[in-house]
Amino acid sequence: MQKSMPNLYDSELQLTEYCLKVNPKSYGSWHHRQWVLITRPDPDWKTELNLCNKYLKMDERNFHTWHYRSFVVSKCQPSLKDEFDFTTEKLLDNFSNYSAWHYRSKMLVELYPDVKGGRPIEDSHHKHELKMVQSAAFTDPDDTSAWFYQRWLLGAVKNNVDLAVISVTPSNTSLAFSQYVSKDFVNSKIEIIINDLPVSGEWLSCIGNQYDNLWIFKHNVLIEDGLDIKVQYEIENGQKQVLSCVPIKPFTYVGRNKVNFQKHYSVPVLNELKDQLESCRQLLAMEPDNKWTLLTTTVFLNCINAKLYHTEVIDNLKTLKSIDKLRAGYYEDLKTKWCIENQLYKDYENGELVFKVNFGEKISCLPHLQYYSHCEKVDLSNQNLTSKVLPSLIVLQNCKCLSLKNNKLTSLRGFPSLALEELDLQGNDLDINEVNRIREVFKGNIIF
Amino acid sequence: MDDDLPTDFQVIVVGTGMVESIVAAACSRIGKNVLHLDSSDHYGGLWASYNFDGLQKFIKEVNSDPKRQLQVYNLSEKWYIEKDSPQEKQEDDENKTEDSKSEPSKKVWSQASFATEYRKFNIDMTPKLLFSRGPLVELLISSNIARYAEFRCVTRVLTWLNDKLMPVPCSRADVFATEAVSIVEKRMLMKMLTSIVGYNEEEMNNEFKDWNDKTFKEYLEHKGLTPNLIHYVLFAIAGGTNKMPCLEGVKECKKFLMSLGRYGNTPFLWPMYGSGELPQCFCRLCAVFGGVYCLNRPIDKVATKTVDEGKTVVTIDSKSKTLNCDHLVIGINECPKEMISPEPAESCDISKAVFITNGSIMKSEKEPLTLLRFPPLTDEDNTVTVLEVGPATGSCPKGLFVVYFITKKVKTAESDLKPYAERIFDMSGGDQLEASEKPKCLWSLFYNVRDTSAPVSGAADSVHVCCGPDAGLDFDRAVEQAEQIFKKICPGEEFLPRAPDPEEIVFEDEVPRGPEFRGDDADAEPQQ
Repeated sequence: MQKSMPNLYDSELQLTEYCLKVNPKSYGSWHHRQWVLITRPDPDWKTELNLCNKYLKMDERNFHTWHYRSFVVSKCQPSLKDEFDFTTEKLLDNFSNYSAWHYRSKMLVELYPDVKGGRPIEDSHHKHELKMVQSAAFTDPDDTSAWFYQRWLLGAVKNNVDLAVISVTPSNTSLAFSQYVSKDFVNSKIEIIINDLPVSGEWLSCIGNQYDNLWIFKHNVLIEDGLDIKVQYEIENGQKQVLSCVPIKPFTYVGRNKVNFQKHYSVPVLNELKDQLESCRQLLAMEPDNKWTLLTTTVFLNCINAKLYHTEVIDNLKTLKSIDKLRAGYYEDLKTKWCIENQLYKDYENGELVFKVNFGEKISCLPHLQYYSHCEKVDLSNQNLTSKVLPSLIVLQNCKCLSLKNNKLTSLRGFPSLALEELDLQGNDLDINEVNRIREVFKGNIIF
Repeated sequence: MDDDLPTDFQVIVVGTGMVESIVAAACSRIGKNVLHLDSSDHYGGLWASYNFDGLQKFIKEVNSDPKRQLQVYNLSEKWYIEKDSPQEKQEDDENKTEDSKSEPSKKVWSQASFATEYRKFNIDMTPKLLFSRGPLVELLISSNIARYAEFRCVTRVLTWLNDKLMPVPCSRADVFATEAVSIVEKRMLMKMLTSIVGYNEEEMNNEFKDWNDKTFKEYLEHKGLTPNLIHYVLFAIAGGTNKMPCLEGVKECKKFLMSLGRYGNTPFLWPMYGSGELPQCFCRLCAVFGGVYCLNRPIDKVATKTVDEGKTVVTIDSKSKTLNCDHLVIGINECPKEMISPEPAESCDISKAVFITNGSIMKSEKEPLTLLRFPPLTDEDNTVTVLEVGPATGSCPKGLFVVYFITKKVKTAESDLKPYAERIFDMSGGDQLEASEKPKCLWSLFYNVRDTSAPVSGAADSVHVCCGPDAGLDFDRAVEQAEQIFKKICPGEEFLPRAPDPEEIVFEDEVPRGPEFRGDDADAEPQQ
């Protein structure tokens, strides 16, 4: 006596529903349920969606349910607005809910993109979300879910890939970008023009990856003096821009773009951020040692005008380091990043050809290092660098003289192969044998 | 029937108020032989709930019996609607009543329609809320008496601020959602509330060392809270006044906050069908464990006598019968004066009012269940507690709300409470269908109750006097007193241990066991 297939499917659904009642976090049960519904020819997605909502009523934070629900939603396709409102409802019940905030972010950019301005989120909604998340964050600052959403909102700006610097020498032509780009990108959007003739060649990633922020252009043009070297690149909407290189010494050309790390918000959103900054400052006056208030204030300052508020931002990070010791490394890296950004403006303006850390703080990591890929001399002495940064030095493709004197290196593992003439490793806790081994393969002079 | 009543009990309880009923249940639960009497024909005494007919009888009784006016006085009942409703209108409504859930059609109510639907009313003499983590909830759970009762969550807490009703953001979710306070205030409020929750006795001594003789308001001001926030915390959350002492305010706040997040969005539960259900739940447990019940049984005289071996026995004369017991537990209103010692100190009586209205005091998507704490309107007034319950609680027919007002008496119930009622109701008695901001008041009752909640003791060791309802919001004092009395009667015994559910009870003697299974091989071993 064989039961009909629909009956068998139904009983499987009943079984899993029963099991999920006992253990709503069973991977197996959810998975089996999904299998039944995609296998049977007559799935009832509406009922399934209601079931998900029922489970989320019982435990609004169960990410298994959220995950399964997104699968159901993909099948029954309720309106975006309904889904967006659903997250509102869940967050009003309990805003300590990563799943709901995350899902909301997905709905938000689908539902309210800024078509005209090309921004990810339409102004009024961006403002509304910022207000909402600020309210959550200040209701319970110790709940991290809201902070994550806030960071996401602050980062939801138009994000253009920018050319950072090009350097051309007889041995090497390299292009640094503001962010990681694919081979397709460089192939289709970048053109190198020497004496008004496009140069053909092949792009190679500096680290040999699919995506990179430093691409090396292999070509057959002999680089000599008196050349006119330009890069033509495509920015948004097919518009072309040209960056010209200037000779900085015999056989060497460098073309530097403008640097910009400032996020660009629309005026209404920027005004909202300024309002929120004001609230934060008031709170800070009441509780100067509150980590979350201070961190948010700092992030706002950086988002609104990093150059103007640089000193305050750095001071805040130092305070944060002392009141929130568990995350001292995080603040340290953030400080390094923002200090380097600040220095980059000046270095690029002054046409600096040497990279030397010239602010009072010691750096702990090497962000934006590709912006210095054209430098022949890089002085990283007297910093807090550890061995883990060594692989990232590979972007210093034109570097001849590198100083890592007085850092916290403990090993040379991962040191990239660079055509260095001089490498200063003094003042690090390195094993002499390891240095000697490097010496054997290294052509330049090692000071140790 | 009288003749069947045994005469000797270990414990006799007179009165079925809250304290008496808890003690009766607790004694019966541990095997004491309990007789529970009440002079009236219903349970609860001053803690009772009445349907509309029963309430009318109660009013008549009080008005005609000067003795009862010692407890309840200044009764003033008023109708704001016609005696009879227009005929055609009524038929219309009958067709609609059931399927008009979404759009509650306004019905024109008349005194006659109240009378026809009298059974749908459950009006409390002592309306009270339960704190979700308060002693009564814990007791109901631990004793398993909760299965006899049903509850509804209070859905919102309101206050009167800037001459209008405002929801009070009390939970985390409320604070997040409210637009009534600024971001900075949200942080201040949450910080204040979190710190109050965090205080234990020891820390309290440190933090509040210098605040013993200061008011809670001064403390909140000192902490830099804005006037709005002070209003929320002081009046709505702590239920205090400007004069509330600091430590008391902190304790009240803590109690409120600790009960959040257990059942609903507010810290409170309301018993379905009214607070009068609760004494009955305890009576039921008492009866399940063998307690004998006798309503309509007034007592005439209480005396103590010493029998041999110096043992004291309490004797009660009731309906020409003498009942004997080791312990008498008696409600203060039933107790002869000479048995109370010492005379309770003169305390502040209670002013109460009940209103029946045709709509909620503040519109809401779903049917609301509201606690409103009115800050005093004048300097001599006290905080007024307002409870609004709707049809979903079984308190009244669809389309109506029952609203209770409670405060400490200053002059009379009517003069104490009417100014407050007029703020939130339309008491003009005008057209019920007319659209208006405030709900129409259809019926009102003002009355004063003597405060008999002060601790008292019996004139003899074996007479235990139970206090009456207090003006407080919860049942905590009743539970506390009941436990004390029980401990005196049965020292060393557990107070209301968990009663088993019916399916947990195994009747070993009566159920014949089947033959034991004997297997021939090892497979027959019972599997774990």
